Amino acid sequence: MKYYGIINKEIVKKYGGFNLENNSIIVKNVSKQFKLYYDKANTLKEKLIFWKRSKNDILEVLKNINLNIEKGETVALIGTNGSGKSTLLKLMTKIIYPNKGKIITNGKLTSLLELGAGFHPDFSGRENIYFNASIFGLTKKQIDDRLDKIIKFSELEGFIDNPVRTYSSGMYMRLAFSVAINVDADILLIDEILAVGDQHFQEKCINKLKQLKNSDKTIVIVTHDLNSVQQLCTRAVWLYEGKIKMDGNPKDVIAEYKKICG
Amino acid sequence: MKIFKELFQYRELLKSNIKKEIRGKYKGSFLGILWSFLNPLLQVLIYAIIFPYIMRMQMDDYLIYLITGIIPWTFFTASINSGMVSIIANANLIKKVYFPRIILPISSVTSALVNFSISCLIVIGFVAFSGIGLSFNLLYLPLIMIIQYILLLGIVFILSAIDLYFRDIENIMQFFVNMLFYATPILYLPSIFPEKIKWVISLNPMAHIINAYRDIFYYKVSPDLLNLGIVSVVSISFMVFGYLVFNKLQRGFAEEV
Repeated sequence: MKYYGIINKEIVKKYGGFNLENNSIIVKNVSKQFKLYYDKANTLKEKLIFWKRSKNDILEVLKNINLNIEKGETVALIGTNGSGKSTLLKLMTKIIYPNKGKIITNGKLTSLLELGAGFHPDFSGRENIYFNASIFGLTKKQIDDRLDKIIKFSELEGFIDNPVRTYSSGMYMRLAFSVAINVDADILLIDEILAVGDQHFQEKCINKLKQLKNSDKTIVIVTHDLNSVQQLCTRAVWLYEGKIKMDGNPKDVIAEYKKICG
Repeated sequence: MKIFKELFQYRELLKSNIKKEIRGKYKGSFLGILWSFLNPLLQVLIYAIIFPYIMRMQMDDYLIYLITGIIPWTFFTASINSGMVSIIANANLIKKVYFPRIILPISSVTSALVNFSISCLIVIGFVAFSGIGLSFNLLYLPLIMIIQYILLLGIVFILSAIDLYFRDIENIMQFFVNMLFYATPILYLPSIFPEKIKWVISLNPMAHIINAYRDIFYYKVSPDLLNLGIVSVVSISFMVFGYLVFNKLQRGFAEEV
């Protein structure tokens, strides 16, 4: 509401039926295609020599998807590899754009597609918190306010002023996850990163997600970990070959999913 | 107007990106950031030796004449060189997170502007101690800088977006910038340009901008305000056009890098 007030009015006009007040994400008739290059001829030389080969195929990853995610829902996207889950998530964050259709998001959105985007190995953990959080659109003051919380959650108090290149991979992921989870977005998009750190930290992450879920945040998770789906989510959407095969209660969807793909 | 709102929201990213670019460029070198000022001065030194002594060009205060032309020109080349590759250089960020992509070219040009502002102090020092002296016309300096900044934003918006789809632009621009250097009165007086092809200079916005810097630093007169007005209209339209091109192409960035 705060950030996308303009779109809000537009939408009410365009999709009169929708009430954005209750919807966090609206996916309307979205299709996405990727070009498949067999041998991408990039240079002039290659183009001249292989001019016959330069035809490319088109892979339709998502086919006419319609999906409404309501405020406060925790939705899991499940499906086999290549079913279009991650592509749908990327479309929601506006990293890529659909070929057809429209996606509207309502509220501040943070994506944890890949942790530690923009971490600079030579800068200290503290400096990287500032840079990483600014990529998520936070201002200096907002980061100052969250700094202690982020450091405490990451449990890296003793190392926070060391350069990130000296961190172990687990420490690196912990820091990155702590930044992303403390942004306080209304919508959180997560791609396969629930397996951060050791057992103790993983439990902490799940607890934090549960806490966010209870505070009326919208969460969309792409994962293959069906146990955490059942533990965490209020709804599961099963994507199969670019289409929604089933959408509903996690228990039912997972049971059906296991029958066919298990 | 959504763009301004978004840029304001992401102002911290803009700030830290500019800082990173200013500091990161010479990271690891002994003289560090001093190189951003030494490089153009060393370039001045080369021309100051070649033209008077080897080409036998006679002119009063030629060294100052050179400095007042080459330092603003360095602002131009530094912006283009770092701004053109700003999208490609941040490919991993573009693929992973959403943020207004236009922040990247803006930070390149702005960090060059910061360097240029500091270089201007060096120019003022040279002018003051060479006997030419200073005048109130220096008050025009911020205005000329802003016009050049806007022009550069427009150019860099277009180049950075095109570079992703057509890498050859880097080599083409290398040639083009080199050519433009000689089509701008930096090493020579505008008056020695042959009458027949004088239109080349009058169509070159950088020539008018360099002339304006010269007027306030070297000749101590007010710049040609009509000319400057035309150049600022051209610059602003360039920036708007550049933004539209960038905005159109940016939708495909994450798939192309």
